[in-house]
Amino acid sequence: MVEILIQGAVSSAIYAMLAVGFTLIFGVARILNLAHGSFYALGAYGTYVLTTLGLPLVPAALVSIAFVALFGVVMERVLVRPMRRKSLLAVLMITLAVALAIEQVLFLTFGSEYRNVPSMVTAKYELFGVGIAGQRLFTVISAIVLIGALWLFIQHTRLGSAILAISQDPDAAQYMGIPSDRIFALVMAMSAALAAAAGILAGPFLTVQPTMWLLPIIKAFAIVVVGGLGSIPGSILAALMLGYAETIVAYTISSGWTEIISVLATLLMLIFRPAGMFGKRAAF
Amino acid sequence: MFTHRIDLAGAAVFVAVMALLPMLLDNSYLTGVLTVAIIYAIWAVSWDFMSGLTGRENFGHALFIGAGAYTAGFMNTVWGISGWWAIPSAMVVASLFALVVGFPTLRLKGPYFALAMLSASAIMERLMLIFWEYTGGEEGINGIEPLIFSQLGFYYFALAVLVVCTAVLVLLARSNWGLILRAIRGDEATCQAAGLNVTWYKIASLVISAAIAGAGGAMYAQYQLQVSPQVFTVVLSITVITMVYVGGMSSIWGPVGGAILLVMLTELLRDFGEWRLLIYSVTLILILFYLPQGLVAPTWNRLKARLGGSA
Repeated sequence: MVEILIQGAVSSAIYAMLAVGFTLIFGVARILNLAHGSFYALGAYGTYVLTTLGLPLVPAALVSIAFVALFGVVMERVLVRPMRRKSLLAVLMITLAVALAIEQVLFLTFGSEYRNVPSMVTAKYELFGVGIAGQRLFTVISAIVLIGALWLFIQHTRLGSAILAISQDPDAAQYMGIPSDRIFALVMAMSAALAAAAGILAGPFLTVQPTMWLLPIIKAFAIVVVGGLGSIPGSILAALMLGYAETIVAYTISSGWTEIISVLATLLMLIFRPAGMFGKRAAF
Repeated sequence: MFTHRIDLAGAAVFVAVMALLPMLLDNSYLTGVLTVAIIYAIWAVSWDFMSGLTGRENFGHALFIGAGAYTAGFMNTVWGISGWWAIPSAMVVASLFALVVGFPTLRLKGPYFALAMLSASAIMERLMLIFWEYTGGEEGINGIEPLIFSQLGFYYFALAVLVVCTAVLVLLARSNWGLILRAIRGDEATCQAAGLNVTWYKIASLVISAAIAGAGGAMYAQYQLQVSPQVFTVVLSITVITMVYVGGMSSIWGPVGGAILLVMLTELLRDFGEWRLLIYSVTLILILFYLPQGLVAPTWNRLKARLGGSA
């Protein structure tokens, strides 16, 4: 029971970090970014490369996060922005092509074998009589801190208000003199950094290999459909629901069936309540 | 009327060349490459019929391909049913998958359909690996009986299927039905206001698209004599999409050229086999930016204009 509670919290923390960034860049810039999972993969691989080159773990992680954020900004400016004027589907197509290109570059450079990202916390702890690896505990705490910081930033700073204004009405925000292009770049950087951090935190206990981008993006999509596209509280709640649903199924039925939950949840939600729990539009 | 005749003549020349090529080359390896190219062309044509015409891009065509391929694999190895039953059964199974994903998602606007297809195909790939006791896991199902024992015989069978599918889909695309699908791409709300059951048209064309892709999947299994989870991968979907984009979206016949062109190109670059998928994804990015109309269909149209002008 306690195992399910703890393990579910760890899965939910990783899902929440991925889904919040995914939904944020959609809510603000109407970019559905299929390369979001690639940010997660690049974060893990970046840390792997830098630590094998001899850099200590914390600087290596910070440099990787910065690199991935920069990569996200460049990708948004060079590849996504011209497509944004065409259609939502053109954006999906270009980001999927980018995700696949990154997978192939990782495959050609590192091969398909699993790589190791070192743990930030190597100690083991005991919680209510159940042993838990320090890294997992650290992942949960980091997720709470990072998402909390993001929330405070959006709710309580001038830049945050600009982000909210654009997500509510992009045209009106533009008329008020908010530089939307620069805000998009900022949001892209934050969303990419959060995904990269998730990859670095989860790297030590999940597999790091070139196709690791795919399942996270599927989970993130399921979460934002259930939570409501563009809603941050919705995606946090849905991340908890998916994380715990998967853990409960893994412990009570079999770990084989966990993967089907996300697709099932997506399809059922789209049948019964397409707007999601917190979505504003029924179908945009 | 005249341009229509040129189209027919072009198609006839294409079919004649494809029919003569294996005899002229007389090389079983190259015949194999051509067979695979034709199967890819069947997938590309079926993708284009739904997604090219309605503009609702399908990011998980591999779901239908894989459903068809595994149906053929199971029927032949587990139940020992003749391969000729596998193709129609694969079409039925793929259509059921189309209904399961299409019904919840195609009613809605937005990206739900594209993403749900992507998710469904990727999860099917995972399930094939997780339930390896039944599916053979990474190795998949081996020992499928060939449908036609002679390689050349299978080649002509595949070519015939491609010609029939393309002809039927081109005719459908030029009929009222195709007009409605194009209108949906243009302005869905107006179509709805005009009293058209937009959702029904979209789901029906997805089912047609899935059935043909499933048939192609079954043929692929019967040609390779084995099925592996590869048939469900996102990579396969993207390969098919790249072929359609190279061929020219919504022309139906253009993707045939795109498929054959890309398979030939990767054959020429065989020494760089590992780079194949990177080349495909970069090609897709470049096409999206610089040749949104594609390569094959516009080239043919320009050629046709010149032929028409000189006649």
